[in-house]
Amino acid sequence: MIDFSVLKGETLWERWQYFAQTAPEKEAIIHWCAANEPFRWTYASLLETANKFSHYLRNIGVKKGDVCAIIIRHNPNFYPLYLGIVGIGALPSVLAYPNPRLHPEKFRQGLTGMAERSGLDWIFTETALEEMILPFVEDKNTTVNELFFPLEWNLDKALNTITIQELSEIRAEIKSDEPMLLQHSSGTTGIQKPVVLSHDAILNHVKNYGKSIQISNDDKVVSWLPLYHDMGLIAAFHVPLACGIPSIQIDPFEWVLAPILMFMAASEEKATLGWLPNFAYNLMADKLSDEEMEDISLASFRMMINCSEPVRHESHKKFLDRFKNFGFEEDALGAMYAMAETTLTVTQTEANKRAIELSVDREQLSNGKVEVSNNLSKQKICVSSGKLIDGCQVNIVDDFRNVVDKSGVGEIAVKSVSMFSGYRNYPEKTAEVLDENGWYYTGDIGFLYNNELFVIGRKKDIIIVAGNNIYPEDIEDVISKVENVIPGRVIAFGEDDIELGTEQVSIVAETSLVSDDELTKLRVSILRAGMSINVNIHTVYLVPPRWLIKSSSGKPSRKANRNRIIKKNDEQVWSKK
Amino acid sequence: MISERLKKIICDELYLDSATIEINDETQAPEVPGWDSLNHANIIVAIEKNFGVRFKGLEVLKCNNVGALQRLIDSKVSK
Repeated sequence: MIDFSVLKGETLWERWQYFAQTAPEKEAIIHWCAANEPFRWTYASLLETANKFSHYLRNIGVKKGDVCAIIIRHNPNFYPLYLGIVGIGALPSVLAYPNPRLHPEKFRQGLTGMAERSGLDWIFTETALEEMILPFVEDKNTTVNELFFPLEWNLDKALNTITIQELSEIRAEIKSDEPMLLQHSSGTTGIQKPVVLSHDAILNHVKNYGKSIQISNDDKVVSWLPLYHDMGLIAAFHVPLACGIPSIQIDPFEWVLAPILMFMAASEEKATLGWLPNFAYNLMADKLSDEEMEDISLASFRMMINCSEPVRHESHKKFLDRFKNFGFEEDALGAMYAMAETTLTVTQTEANKRAIELSVDREQLSNGKVEVSNNLSKQKICVSSGKLIDGCQVNIVDDFRNVVDKSGVGEIAVKSVSMFSGYRNYPEKTAEVLDENGWYYTGDIGFLYNNELFVIGRKKDIIIVAGNNIYPEDIEDVISKVENVIPGRVIAFGEDDIELGTEQVSIVAETSLVSDDELTKLRVSILRAGMSINVNIHTVYLVPPRWLIKSSSGKPSRKANRNRIIKKNDEQVWSKK
Repeated sequence: MISERLKKIICDELYLDSATIEINDETQAPEVPGWDSLNHANIIVAIEKNFGVRFKGLEVLKCNNVGALQRLIDSKVSK
């Protein structure tokens, strides 16, 4: 196991520099591509190129504390650019590369919303996105100074000693408690909550989390997770880089079309650690054929850690049944509970041990009590997300934020040494979730049993599709504007898809249309409206005017209407599924 | 040119009316309502079943539009 007490570096740059000096030829990033040979960065070559980016960034006017948005699809120069930004004390903020289905105007609206709170100062992107992003940068109200295309920069020239000295002086001024990065705690849709993390928060987290998974110099991470997502950015990028071990990075767009890529890379490179959202266990178990798995060995994996969605027993079982003959060990099935607000991990299952499962009475659980049950017809199998890592605390609280009885079910509240200091420029949201004693109220529902945390759902209406948080109000706003939908008479909610191991988005919308032809066309218009904000609507339920039940606020109630719709016995409801 | 058979499989899988949805050689997945990453795997499985062929993930990855997918199917069927 890595001895963290001997690792040098008070800031991230110093830590990376330490590895570049002590293990220059050790691989840092293995940039994996489906069509080409992987591009391999050693710690020395990565830092050398990062230095050139730092120099270039300084020359164009980027200063300490500036927020630098990066919108670049899988590219080997992404990593030194990111490091180069950190190397001058500016804050990198990785934003999602736009999916082709996303309407350019919606993409710009998303950027505007983000810039409002995050205060984006610069955008670094690809020339292919210039037309899409430029109107946003040229808007008179924008916070953004300029748009740059760093992949076009000529980095051939070596830096001279004066420049290197100047960069060293800038780095000496960067303090460990200063902001290091900015990430957004929500996924694909508009309500972005910017989280700023310091060098201390990240390095503390790397140490505490690294210990919990017994990270060693022999470990190698493999990941297709997007780097705008906390699990991809912290677990699969920052943790390995700050521990001096290699990370294999796969393009998420390529992985989703060819999930075998992760196992090909893992098998060839002998990866030991991976993180996945729950749906990926189902997807890979269902879709990878024996033919594709030929010559693949998963024996090198010591931990595959499930995170970002509630962990499902069925998904772990399916994955193990499918891949045990390819060398995947049962004890590699781990899980964790994590969020951007605490840098990442709060709880983690024991290293190299299968996540504990607990059979509880389903009915009692819905009444807020945990009762172990062996009655097959009444039981629900819950999967543990593990025990607290060092530096974290958890309370289970009721609606009044009082701690519930032992084995009671309630909202999960957390405290961490790697806690964020509040959402950037969003004090009202911060005040809602962070109390004066430093407890962060997560909105997740769960319970503790034998010191293991079990996460069973969400208090709020957020829909989690394949690890991405989607806010129903964003979808409802867009669908309300679709012709023939009665404005404001729409609800969006998540429906469990057991086969896929995730939630899917469903819509209930009121309309005056009645014929099957008209309703079929309206359904397609609704699907297209969802596509324009990069949300795939799985099921559309169309109902006549005044069908939706209102809540006390006068708006259609998501909960009441969801319960009504899933009973599936109302003849007034039209749906293709 | 893409076959009516392929178009129908895609539309059936996405609950779309094939008479009113435009899908041609140049169509890319994100342009078709409902064809997202989660549904993509289901569409591929439906095509495999219907045509009695098997695709490798890397073969599908190279298909950047429906026309390329049709050519991949044709190459498998003719073997």
